[in-house]
Amino acid sequence: MAHEDSPRRRKSLLRKVVDSRILLLMCAPAIVFFVVFNYAPLPGIWIAFTNFNYRDGIFGSPFVGFKNFEFLFKSGQLWMLTRNTILYNLAFIILGNILQIAIAIMLNEIRLKFFRKISQGVMFLPFFISAVLVGVIAFNLLNYDTGALNALIKQTGGDPIKIYSTAGLWPIIIIMVHLWQSTGYGSIVYFAAIMGIDKGLYEAAAIDGASAWQRIRHVTLPSLKPTFIILVLFSLGGIMHGNFGLFWNLVGNNAALFQTTDIIETSVYRMVLSQNNFTTSTAVGLYQSLFGFALVMIANGIVRRINKDYALF
Amino acid sequence: MHSSDAKTARTMVEAVSVEAGKSSNATPRRRRAIKLDTGDLVLQAFSYLTVGLFAVFCLLPFVMMLSASLSSEAEIRRSGFGLFPKDFTLAAYQYIFNAPQQIIGSYVVTVVMTVTGTAIGLFVIAMTGYALNRKDFPFRDHVSFFIYFTTLFSAGLAPTFLWVARVLDLRGSYLAVFLQLLMTPWLIILMKNFMRTVPYEIVESGKVDGAGDFRIFAQLCLPMMKPALATIGLFLALSYWNEWYLSSLYLGSTVEFKPLQYHLYNLINTANALRNSVAGSNVSITDLPTNTLKMASAIVATGPILLLYPFVQRYFVSGIAIGAVKG
Amino acid sequence: MNRRRVLAIGAAMLALGTSSASMMSSAFAQDAPVEITMLTMGNKPTNGRLEAMLEKLNERLIAQANAKLNLFYIEWADWQTQYNVQLLSGDDNVDLVATATDWLYAWENAEKGAFLPLSEDMLKTHAPKTWAQVDAAGHWDLTKLADGNIYFMPEDNYTQYTNHGFFYRGDWAKEAGFENGEITKFEDFTKYFEWVKANKPDAYPWDVAGANEAALTGYMQGHTDFQTLQGVSAGNYAPFQTKASDPYTITSWYMEGDALIEAAKLAKQWNDIGVWREDALNYDGDTREEFYAGLTGAEQHHTQTFVTQIVHNMNAKQPGSDPKFYYWGEENGNFFKDIFTHGAMAVSTYSRNPEKALEVYDLIRNDKENYMLFNYGIEGEDYIIREDGVLDRPEGFDSSTMSLDTNYWWGRMDEFEPARTTDAPNKAELIDELNATAKDYPYSTLIINKSAIEPTLAAMAGVLSEYIPQLQYGKFEDPAAAVAEMREKLAAVGYEDARASIQADIDAWATARGLK
Repeated sequence: MAHEDSPRRRKSLLRKVVDSRILLLMCAPAIVFFVVFNYAPLPGIWIAFTNFNYRDGIFGSPFVGFKNFEFLFKSGQLWMLTRNTILYNLAFIILGNILQIAIAIMLNEIRLKFFRKISQGVMFLPFFISAVLVGVIAFNLLNYDTGALNALIKQTGGDPIKIYSTAGLWPIIIIMVHLWQSTGYGSIVYFAAIMGIDKGLYEAAAIDGASAWQRIRHVTLPSLKPTFIILVLFSLGGIMHGNFGLFWNLVGNNAALFQTTDIIETSVYRMVLSQNNFTTSTAVGLYQSLFGFALVMIANGIVRRINKDYALF
Repeated sequence: MHSSDAKTARTMVEAVSVEAGKSSNATPRRRRAIKLDTGDLVLQAFSYLTVGLFAVFCLLPFVMMLSASLSSEAEIRRSGFGLFPKDFTLAAYQYIFNAPQQIIGSYVVTVVMTVTGTAIGLFVIAMTGYALNRKDFPFRDHVSFFIYFTTLFSAGLAPTFLWVARVLDLRGSYLAVFLQLLMTPWLIILMKNFMRTVPYEIVESGKVDGAGDFRIFAQLCLPMMKPALATIGLFLALSYWNEWYLSSLYLGSTVEFKPLQYHLYNLINTANALRNSVAGSNVSITDLPTNTLKMASAIVATGPILLLYPFVQRYFVSGIAIGAVKG
Repeated sequence: MNRRRVLAIGAAMLALGTSSASMMSSAFAQDAPVEITMLTMGNKPTNGRLEAMLEKLNERLIAQANAKLNLFYIEWADWQTQYNVQLLSGDDNVDLVATATDWLYAWENAEKGAFLPLSEDMLKTHAPKTWAQVDAAGHWDLTKLADGNIYFMPEDNYTQYTNHGFFYRGDWAKEAGFENGEITKFEDFTKYFEWVKANKPDAYPWDVAGANEAALTGYMQGHTDFQTLQGVSAGNYAPFQTKASDPYTITSWYMEGDALIEAAKLAKQWNDIGVWREDALNYDGDTREEFYAGLTGAEQHHTQTFVTQIVHNMNAKQPGSDPKFYYWGEENGNFFKDIFTHGAMAVSTYSRNPEKALEVYDLIRNDKENYMLFNYGIEGEDYIIREDGVLDRPEGFDSSTMSLDTNYWWGRMDEFEPARTTDAPNKAELIDELNATAKDYPYSTLIINKSAIEPTLAAMAGVLSEYIPQLQYGKFEDPAAAVAEMREKLAAVGYEDARASIQADIDAWATARGLK
């Protein structure tokens, strides 16, 4: 911030507070909210280093150092899990945003209001289907004995595929399910952003004789850039956190698929969480937070260097 | 040009000019044919096709669920799902609604939470987003980072639970769910980003007129932010509507009426939980229509939002009613 | 201060207010009955029968102890998490907590301090009958942590068997060539399954859903004298055993011997036959219902399920199916009686009336009239006792809509339990047969110091969850090689350290008891 202020405008902190008191007050409810529900529990992370019990409480329980983290390293899987988690999230972020932008632009091209409304509404449906049901539907489509897909293959004379034992297929399946579930929802942001683009720009482009593609390339896409960057940077914050419900319900205990589908959450769940071990889960969360934090700081630093306006902070 | 193409072109021209006309007072209203090359037509055709296909892709599983929810359990067990109901029955819906006071109570709880939560949350988010977008607000970066930081670093499940349940003593209270869903960093930053489309000149003109910051926000900016408010309001409403996780942690079975999605989640998972579990040894499961029940619950949970959606959508299409410079 | 904060503080003050108010009422108004809340497992019934019963029961409890009973249910959806979260929340509205050492986290929660340590004096004064009965049986030792305190009251006077096995159809087995339709060896199921596969196109020989180790453990139990150590698990697996022939040496059937390899080979053979679905691991259908519908040739669960549900239902839904039960270890007698803490009752640390809670529990457990009310409801309305003493339901009773569901599995008593019409006709016979050979679990009082080996157990869980599901469904081309690989990995994550640590525990335990 300091570098934003020219010397002429440099004021004392108190002065700044007084001058911007209304704006500060406008932020106050949100600030209080995050203090109460996000910052206040932070010291509780201490339980990751203790053998937590209810009698002694968070800070009275015996200190055990890094013991709650040990299993992560002992299992020898940490690197593979971290890699899988990050790669899946990257795929979700990149493909997700591309598809969302594409759908938003195409929706904008569609002139039949009726068609647009219906299709946009329909694309929302998957968002409401809970992960448990997604798992059930996927199984009913893909399983070997009674699955709809294999039934179709058999009807056309082909050999059914053992999808649930072919690890290589699952990154594609999981990504498709994710896109299926989130695209309609995500494209809303871009659609709203397109709606916010000054129509004069399109007119000017039309007068200049721009083709449809040029219009999209030179008007729409650049206008979406800030939204895109913010959304991507934002999703990076969660890059170490996998979507447990989705992976667990699609893959479950099917170890034949783990190599390509195991993420931190699912693996940790199998190792400790089925035991309801609160301290280890906190330890894993801390690892994810620290790793993710470092990643985002780096990414944000790079963006900031390129264009300050697009940096998150 | 073929007649059908001409028609498409005309529709498009009209559409563009209508929107242009509506959108801009600065540019003079004019009705002029813009050049339509084959690229436009290809793009149009491609858009209809892709969006249509994707919509079908999203719809098909839903149709399967609908048909499964209307099939008999025995048929599903025998031959899986299909596009049409097998051995039509409403048994699953009867099961869900057989204690109507339960599901009505759940609906009421969820609707009340969704409406009030969205209204309050949206207001706070808009206010914060507005302030954070003001270039002359000296603490905007600090506050932004303060908010964003919570997505990077969270206490995690157990410490948060201990704090909310033991210190705030909110377990067993709807407030625990209601409050925690009020806002997310993502929505605030998104709102801040949307606010960029409000030109700073508006703020300045307000200041010249002697309006305070809050009045500028409430009277000048908010009305211009309809698409943003609609978008973020929709997201907020969805998060209230879809919520089951916080309910399971903070409400569990302590309340008589669970939020709708958690109620349905419980229906679905009870059968799952009992099977192959040690606990199941002690319990006799009374012929639950497991599969069809799962599907019917999804339909029941989704239906109302489908009705709500076109209503919200009006605001997206209306666009932002300004033609001023981009922020 | 912000509105939200005020709300939160308001809520806290409200809670404080109500709690101090109720404390005052108990202090000043001696005659107002104390309300005791019992946490139990299950879905709260909404048919009004529970309330009707509680009204009657509470009349009696008020007269006997000036107390009233209330039930708080942990519902079945996510019950593991819900149970632990409820205890973690420090809720002071719950007094009595249902628990169990083998399936309901009794030790874990006792160690974390969720349960009140029960002193002998307290028990003698406030739960005298329970104290005397458990003491006479010498079972209090089964409920003590290393600190020597008693943490719960065991359901130690109730006979039930929860040893696992296969339910199968006697009519099919007979046709498959088994004499009397009886299968008595694990590997004989190959023949049964093959027959079902060939002759019953609608049915899977054994339709099984999800991770289920039965195909491996069932074989190993019947072919070795390994006895599994309870209370120390790696994820969903119990990886430590002893041998009956060498009862004080810790080993693991995942690590030692060829039984696991043989079992995995048999599983592969079954998989190749098509005994289960190709995608059984991801299937989550209701196989119990399928068994009732004749869509699967076998179903896997335990004795109690067989005698209380399977026989009754199969006779009704598949007349002539002649349901039978083969249990793991039937061929070599390697199976155990139930431990006495398969159900138990603890008092919450946060209870405001622990003494009264004990009194109420004692009255329900030991007063026959209370017991019958609480378990079966009001006589004539919820149940009737036939002339021969068998418990039946009144005419028009529909168990799916009219059941009481108090789910009291935390202190049942053999002497109060009536025979029921839904019991298998051969229940007594089967129980006698089991009683004749079942072994007592020898390590009930052994306390394993888990905190020292938790990281290793977790890492072992990771390895086991990678291999066992595939071994159990015969998915490895070369099971022997896969087992070798798994053993290498288990060793690499520290199996030997964990084993040695438990070995030290059992050495100390055995020495202290003069067993070794």
